[in-house]
Amino acid sequence: MDAATLNLLRDPAGVPFYPVVFQALYVLTFALHAAFVLLALGSMGLSLVGVGKQKRSENWKILTPHLIQTGKFSVSMLILLGIAPLLFTQVIYDPNWYVTNALSGVWVFVFVYALIAGYLTYYWYYYANKKGSSASGLIGTVSFLILLFAGILMHNFAVESIQPDKWMGWYAPNGMVDTSGTNFHIDVVRLAFLVSLSVPVLGIFLQNYSQFLGTRSDIAPGYLAFTKKMGTKLAVIGLIISAVLYALWTLQAGVLLHPLSLATVAGVVVLLLLAMRNSNSYVTTGVLVVVALLISAVRELVKYQIMADIGYNIYDYPMNIDWPSVVMFLLTFVGFGFTGVAFIMTMAWKVGKTENGQVFDAENHAPTRKLATATLWILVSWCVVYFGWGMMTLFKNVLT
Amino acid sequence: MEQIGLFPLFYFPEIGSAWLMGITGTIHILASHTSVGAAMLFAFLAYKAYKEDRPELYDYMKKYGMFLLIFSYVIGSITGPGIWYTATAASPRGISALIHNFVWVWGTEWVFFIYEVLGVFALVYFIGKIDRKTHLKLTYTFALASVGTLMLIIGIISFMMWPGTDAFFQTGSASDAFFGLNTFPHMFLRIGFMIMMSGVIGLVISSAIDNQELRSELTRKMGLVSMLGGFVTMLFFMWYISTLPETADALLEMYLPDILKTRIGLMVAFTLYFAVAVFLPRLINRPLAGTMVVVILIVGLWPGEKLRESMRKPYVAGQYIYSNQIISRDVPGKGIKGEVDKLAKVGFLKASPWIPERLRTITPENRLEVGHLLTKRACSNCHSLEKEGKFRPLMAKVAGWDAETIKTFMKSSLATGAIPYMPKIALPDEEFGAMAAWIATQNH
Repeated sequence: MDAATLNLLRDPAGVPFYPVVFQALYVLTFALHAAFVLLALGSMGLSLVGVGKQKRSENWKILTPHLIQTGKFSVSMLILLGIAPLLFTQVIYDPNWYVTNALSGVWVFVFVYALIAGYLTYYWYYYANKKGSSASGLIGTVSFLILLFAGILMHNFAVESIQPDKWMGWYAPNGMVDTSGTNFHIDVVRLAFLVSLSVPVLGIFLQNYSQFLGTRSDIAPGYLAFTKKMGTKLAVIGLIISAVLYALWTLQAGVLLHPLSLATVAGVVVLLLLAMRNSNSYVTTGVLVVVALLISAVRELVKYQIMADIGYNIYDYPMNIDWPSVVMFLLTFVGFGFTGVAFIMTMAWKVGKTENGQVFDAENHAPTRKLATATLWILVSWCVVYFGWGMMTLFKNVLT
Repeated sequence: MEQIGLFPLFYFPEIGSAWLMGITGTIHILASHTSVGAAMLFAFLAYKAYKEDRPELYDYMKKYGMFLLIFSYVIGSITGPGIWYTATAASPRGISALIHNFVWVWGTEWVFFIYEVLGVFALVYFIGKIDRKTHLKLTYTFALASVGTLMLIIGIISFMMWPGTDAFFQTGSASDAFFGLNTFPHMFLRIGFMIMMSGVIGLVISSAIDNQELRSELTRKMGLVSMLGGFVTMLFFMWYISTLPETADALLEMYLPDILKTRIGLMVAFTLYFAVAVFLPRLINRPLAGTMVVVILIVGLWPGEKLRESMRKPYVAGQYIYSNQIISRDVPGKGIKGEVDKLAKVGFLKASPWIPERLRTITPENRLEVGHLLTKRACSNCHSLEKEGKFRPLMAKVAGWDAETIKTFMKSSLATGAIPYMPKIALPDEEFGAMAAWIATQNH
């Protein structure tokens, strides 16, 4: 596929803002999405171990349902946070996105329903474990495998999208057009690296879990020590495995010595040291966020370079800036998004710190109360602006 | 340059790739409308529970919320982006047009969606763990955020029908595209349906409550809520119909008798059902309530979505992207050029980047193969191509015609744009000939 054809596949409407902004948003939101993919994988996987051990161990009896609950919430979050990178990538890399989806159309459909089946089965797993059903391990395994399969399908789309030189061969092998949409291609090293990250992510999550619950008097110190120790072990071993796979992946992709890649390696070393010491897991998490952003950026770098080498440069994408909708997004993202999420997160933090059977009185906690009221007023104001804007636009267009 | 920016073709046999999107879309509508309706209902219930100090209403909200988490937030949140996926495979240029016009609107909706999903988890799991006043505020913000997601998506799906005025074509502005004539009636129509759905799902939950007194009270309330929603839906449906584009008229005339029959039947059946809920609440049990949800999905939503998809024809987005992915007209505001004339001049075989070299020139050996490929390219977004195809089967429409008759029809009707709900497809004579030859081998 040559540059002229790739550029022809761009949407003739152009992009509604600077391409670099979409690229940055893509890197940011993919990192967030990936964090929950990895946490979901890790917590689901460990919960299956826990299901087998919870009858014999008091610690696993507490931890297993918490891991299942973490997995349940993480799947929801990964879906939610997965929407944004999908949105931003198809603005600037639309040829890649649309060609891939057509080449693997059947898998696109299967992906959607596999995800539904996997998540519904996961809820079944959650309830089965809650009731103490002996089949919960089997149900959980089935759910895990279906969700893993959905993840592999998503990996297939990503891998296909960065091989434009092979698209025509996949679409019309030996000159025979194949419209069945059954193309399926994976890159084992890249997949193994990304999946391996679930181990250190879960490890650092468990360190956080232990530190967070450490302030509660109704949690046994022995249990906290158990989760802390396991978290550290998983984080350290997982980071070492991921580091090896990372080197293999970036070597294969030809970006191992790129400054961004070297910065990632440095970040992983810092992360490893912090995870080993585990004196403050919240600091470790901060570094993990930076490393996650760097890995997301390296992933984008690989795609950018492949496309740029062919002659497709996202920064050349013609622009038709649409200021009103840009302003709407930015104000909503910063104003409502930050305030609203801060409101729920503050509440969640305080509820998590409240002992079982107690009620968190948010009305008497000034930050939560103010955030609740602010969120409400921002939303009301947003609706007023929306209708005002809509009516003005309509009057202008109908009456003039 | 002779080529145009077409993508590879994906075709799902018997059903057609576009209908894969329709199936996903219909399921999504049921789940998403229920969730927004339920958010409004929660605000009402939380207010009553707080003001009247009724803890049992919190229990009901918790049960309803757990059901929502599984039903709406698993199925709804996956089928939402799932529509993108399947639409991308079926109509890449249609979805691309929407993305490139409305990416910031979708981004904004995503922010609302984040709040909505975090909110539903908080709303359900924090019952009894935070004070009731804060819970009430949370419920209000959840309701507003949920309605906000509708307010944002509605302009996009209304634009899919048509931009409403000529302004968008001249300015290219997302505001002009978003706020068309159709947007507000469409919004209120859906709000009515959402309220109704919240009641219909509410009946599924209330019918399983053990406490008979509470069960009757809530069943009555849900019956009233459903009736109100149904009334609002019908009221705004009439306004909505009056804001459709002229191109929809021919199709409406064709489908209206059937629509009226099924809609009147549905209206009577559901009015009776809601009346039973209000006046004889004890008769509502879970199997009945569950069956009515399925009836809405199969008899109400699926035909409704098929109709909406049909009325958009021959376009898939903004009255400038034809269902066969060709740009039908200029959009000066965006610098977009129509492609119909170029296609008439060079044909699909030269215009599409995805034709293998051996098929770019028609020969006696490859004529039928090329004809098959061209028919897929030009027709398969709307028609299934198999003899027993399920949706708008092409062969049934030309059953028994010979190649010459088919070609004459194509040249006199398709190439001139004489059929208002079909794209104007003008192609070089030899491409029409190849298509007609292949179709004539399939339609007997």
